[in-house]
Amino acid sequence: MQKYMDPDKRMTAKDAIDRFVNNGESFVFANCLYSMPLALAHELIRQGKKNLMAFQQGGIEEIDQLLLAGSLDRLVLAYNFRAGGPRITTPLDRALKERQIVVEELTNHTLLSMMKAGAMGYPFIPVLSGIRVTDVVKRKGFMGDQRFSEITDPFTGNPVLVIKGYNPDFALMHVQRADKAGNGQLWGAMINSKWACLAAKKVILSCEKIVDTEVIMSSPHLTIVPAHKVCAVVECPWGAHPSELLGHYDYDFPFRALFFGSCASPEGAKAWMDEWIYTVGDRHEYIEHYVKRFGQETLDAFRAKSFKSVDADYGSTFSTDWNESGYSRNMGMNMDEFVAMLDKKGVLIHGN
Amino acid sequence: MGTNYTVNELIVSRAAKELKDNELVVIGQGIAMAAGVLARKTHAPNSVILTEAGMFGIDPFKVPLHIADPTCSRGFTYSCDMIDIFTTVVNRGYVDATFLGVGQIDRYGNMNSSYLGDPDDFTIRMTGAGGAPEFVGYANRAILTMSGGTFVNTLDYFTSPGFVTGGDSRYEAGMPEGSGPTMLITTKGVFKFAEDTKELYLAGLHPGVTVEEIKADVPWDLNVADTLEITPFPTEEELTIIRTFSPEVSMGRKLQLEVVMNRVIDLLSKNA
Repeated sequence: MQKYMDPDKRMTAKDAIDRFVNNGESFVFANCLYSMPLALAHELIRQGKKNLMAFQQGGIEEIDQLLLAGSLDRLVLAYNFRAGGPRITTPLDRALKERQIVVEELTNHTLLSMMKAGAMGYPFIPVLSGIRVTDVVKRKGFMGDQRFSEITDPFTGNPVLVIKGYNPDFALMHVQRADKAGNGQLWGAMINSKWACLAAKKVILSCEKIVDTEVIMSSPHLTIVPAHKVCAVVECPWGAHPSELLGHYDYDFPFRALFFGSCASPEGAKAWMDEWIYTVGDRHEYIEHYVKRFGQETLDAFRAKSFKSVDADYGSTFSTDWNESGYSRNMGMNMDEFVAMLDKKGVLIHGN
Repeated sequence: MGTNYTVNELIVSRAAKELKDNELVVIGQGIAMAAGVLARKTHAPNSVILTEAGMFGIDPFKVPLHIADPTCSRGFTYSCDMIDIFTTVVNRGYVDATFLGVGQIDRYGNMNSSYLGDPDDFTIRMTGAGGAPEFVGYANRAILTMSGGTFVNTLDYFTSPGFVTGGDSRYEAGMPEGSGPTMLITTKGVFKFAEDTKELYLAGLHPGVTVEEIKADVPWDLNVADTLEITPFPTEEELTIIRTFSPEVSMGRKLQLEVVMNRVIDLLSKNA
């Protein structure tokens, strides 16, 4: 399995998507709803990536945007937000009706189980069997038989519903902080993040801030993706806007409403995509454009106040068995006495 | 503020009464979350609310935008993930109750939140299954709310299991014994499930609604309880809590989008 051992993987979103994404590949959103990797998703769109297969637990705007751009031809989905209510034809409705994409409908639990099995290297994993009576299991999408099956519990003889494991080609992920090697730290709503990024063959990671490895070393419980899984690290403030990220910003509902409202017509949606994705070069320009259109105070109103986690103390004596005076706590002797003891016991082999 | 109320506020107020104190409750967004929070702020202060995103013991001061919105609470007590919720919590039988919104429902409380019309030639793709099938399938009780949905003889798409084909069929299909939906609250009244057949019947009316109005919405010959409870008006205290916590739930999504769009247009014109 390919590992990514480069100690410094910092690059721009443009370089990361250009170097590590090929047309026709499969990918998973390793955040859903919370901390959406929207800067990275918009870069996929700007570079015109095509024929991608997306796994998404719960979409808000990113699935609709990728469909408007024509980036996807296969979609594995559990939930997609409908802000406009039942009367608006969404980009997803339109893409399905016009056969632009094929879809596989799963549940949050079963889609994530597919990732968990893939992450653990298992061919399949049991899921909650009661849903076998539903159309989620009975109606097959484009994956056909390559999703649910039923096996017999070898211990009780009862039937058990199982789902196949899957390893997407890459994951897109946005976190609060990472070091330059790609140890990524996320906190807040953990949802699918751990299993999605571990299932993927590689992770393209963006973060609000790149920090010293010392910060990571003192808080490893927050590391959700280890560096060897990560092929690129992109420092990208506001990288999840308009979704929310604890310690940084709340969600921006009015901005979202602008996108949802624009989706009422194909022309409106195209105008939104032109203004907020195609004519801005990167996330920095996107935020500059936002400030120009809505004002700095509108953006600043979403900034988070601080609510710091009480530090977990990762300290110890930071010493070997030999203390500052060269005296062993365990043996009650110094180094000379230790060597003399070894000699006396006849375990020292004499060299030159 | 007075005691004039919106129909969503009436649903929230009635649904909240179904949650008891000291219960562990899984809640989604919107009306469901407003009901859970109202219960916690009134008669069920020791209930523990969690969402399927893995946030345990949240204390929401506003309605979350979605099930993974941690900005609704100043921290929480246990951070796990979605697979932990469905396996270590739901599958192990720790969930007392769940609140869920309904798109289409049949006489045995089976639900559709996926497609309206033939799924291969549909008119609308609704949100999709999300966490609903396993929550309704495995929570001890499910309290259902329906504000824009419909009663049908046959679901266009069977997303979430209620009592399947009635009687004991739900338990024969593998769902936990004794589990299942206990109540449906619509914009017009309150429905429960018969103990033996598990068929929906009318148990109560919202103020000013007649049995005939409700029967007109239901395509099968609806059973009606001998005595019908009239849903109590939301109190002033309840209305204050609901409107402070979630004005968006009070007004409903359609009006919310209209109001917010006006705000966006206002912002854009100020900076033009």
